[in-house]
Amino acid sequence: MTAHSYSISVRLTRMNLAVSGAVLLIAAIAFSSYDLVSFRYDLIKNLTAEAQIVGDNSVSALLFNDPQSAATTMKGLQRVPDIVSATLSNKQGELFARYGAGSEDPSKEHRLVSGEPDRVWSSGNSVLVAHRIVFQGESVGEVYISAKLTEIGRRARQYALIAGLILMFCMGAAVVISASSRRLIADPIRALADTAIRVSRDQDYSVRAIAPVHSSEITVLVDAFNTMLTQIQLRDLALSQARAQLEARVEQRTMELRQANQELEAFSYTVAHDLRNPLNAIDSLGFLLEMSLGEIAATSKIQTMIGSLRETTSSMATLIDNLLNFARATSSPLRSESVSLSRLAHEVAAELIASDPNRRVDFVIEDLPEVRSDRALMRIVIDNLLRNAWKYTSHHAQARIEFGSQKPVVEDGSTAGLIYYVRDDGAGFDSERAGALFQPFQRLHAKFEFPGTGIGLATVYRILARQSGEIWAEGAVEKGATFYWRLGTQSSEELDDEAT
Amino acid sequence: MSFLCRIARRTLVYVTSMCLAFASLANQSFCQGPAPSQIDVETVYLFNFAKFVRWPAERDGEQLNICIAAQKAYSDSASRVVAGEQIGTRRLAVKLVSRPEDVSGCAILFVGLAAKDHLNDLLNAAAQHATLTVSDIPGFLEQRGMISLFVVNNRVRFSVNLENVDRSGLSLSSELLKVAVQVQGKSPGVGAR
Repeated sequence: MTAHSYSISVRLTRMNLAVSGAVLLIAAIAFSSYDLVSFRYDLIKNLTAEAQIVGDNSVSALLFNDPQSAATTMKGLQRVPDIVSATLSNKQGELFARYGAGSEDPSKEHRLVSGEPDRVWSSGNSVLVAHRIVFQGESVGEVYISAKLTEIGRRARQYALIAGLILMFCMGAAVVISASSRRLIADPIRALADTAIRVSRDQDYSVRAIAPVHSSEITVLVDAFNTMLTQIQLRDLALSQARAQLEARVEQRTMELRQANQELEAFSYTVAHDLRNPLNAIDSLGFLLEMSLGEIAATSKIQTMIGSLRETTSSMATLIDNLLNFARATSSPLRSESVSLSRLAHEVAAELIASDPNRRVDFVIEDLPEVRSDRALMRIVIDNLLRNAWKYTSHHAQARIEFGSQKPVVEDGSTAGLIYYVRDDGAGFDSERAGALFQPFQRLHAKFEFPGTGIGLATVYRILARQSGEIWAEGAVEKGATFYWRLGTQSSEELDDEAT
Repeated sequence: MSFLCRIARRTLVYVTSMCLAFASLANQSFCQGPAPSQIDVETVYLFNFAKFVRWPAERDGEQLNICIAAQKAYSDSASRVVAGEQIGTRRLAVKLVSRPEDVSGCAILFVGLAAKDHLNDLLNAAAQHATLTVSDIPGFLEQRGMISLFVVNNRVRFSVNLENVDRSGLSLSSELLKVAVQVQGKSPGVGAR
């Protein structure tokens, strides 16, 4: 965060320095090179003028063969410090007079060709200016002036020094300006970034970025950011209000629903229970009637009718029992106690074998450890499942019904409980319709094939669902069926809770 | 192109450096074998003087006569020097004179030693015609002469009497006075060496 602001201000400073430095450097180079070039040009022009003056003043000396006079004239060249040496030659090209130290003759290397008025030779710092002296249309001699342009080098060094000083001064100015621009640009941006970070980290939409005093794009940015925060805050508020409203509504609906459900269950229990008593009476009356008629040697037709009456009564009683079980499965309080599923299975098997001793059915019941559950409900579960198997093997002469357990295939390391199963080799079912098995009053077989109310498996399903367990089935037509189920993993806690 | 120039070009083109060395040793300008005679130098001077003298305006357009009152060698030399030359618009001509009457058309009058006896008459005649008088007769300036030629260190030099020049209505260029050995009749210091 501080690194951001640091980088922005440093970048601003660097940018300022680079721009001002580049501008100054280019300007300094351009100005000084222009000045040096024009200075050199001026120097050479001056030298040419000097050569002309010397030439003009030496005309009479040349004409009257007076080298001393010419030498005196040439002494005037000392007012130009750059001039190293100069020579004057007469019209025959002979050395006539000279100026300067040493025996150096500047006209040795370069000479004017005949008729050429002026010429400049220059290489590096040394310049040779030649001038032809013309008097009354006639050439009377030549002047050669050799100069070293040391002044130019001095001037260039001076320029470099001045440019360096100005550059340093301007860099300092750029740093100062950057400091103020940091206050104007970098600091507001840093403040904005800080605010943005706080908002995203704390999810606190109530903070506001502080706009800089001077209006600029940053002010617009900060204002827009603040407006955005306000809108988010408003939307957040509206959202939480809506959620609260929704929750309240859901709670109300749930309550209403639960109440309606309870009323409905109470009603159906009452109905079932109240139906049971007259039905018992009817059955008892039927029994008494059969007894009485038997003594009077009743006709077989009446006997059949009374048998049919009693059978219907019995099936209705079963239906009511099942309905009561179903109601109890959903409404009765859950208890937690030690239950031996194996024992329950043995009991139910014994009941079934006793009900029809002629059937040849092998019960294979595994010895299982006890579990904590509601015994009555477990009894209903096992009774339903075994009775189911018993029923759907009834068309086979020989049948086998297994009750056992298997370790679950643990995929995610969860400590799921054992999976129990009841397997038969009976009529089975169409596996595509397996989903309908556990719906109340849904039957996969015709009633004349296998009698039933269609409520048994639905009861089992509801009992297990209440305990957070589950049940599923595998099977195929005439290949038998296997029902797997598992008690809920949270069942014990739930059971305890509900038991108290 | 002048006579001297022709001589120089003819003889010196290929020996410039040798000549320069010789010139510096001998301390003189001319380095070829046969040095120009004093007569030649003096006639070249006459021609050069003409370049630095301003005559009165009425003489404009006239032929510029250089009159020689001396041996014929002088006028021959002068004729060679000025042949085909011109100063401004004035053509140059050389005239050999002996009598004062002949001086009337002269722009420049040279009086040689040979005419020493007629000097006074010649100067008197010249004084009436705005004529520049030149001579190598010693004491010339004191006898109303204008430019006196003499030899110093093997070199022909000259002195000027400005008073006499002014009196005749002529004017001399200061350039000329600069190289004169002596300038008389004017404020001291001008051209003094």
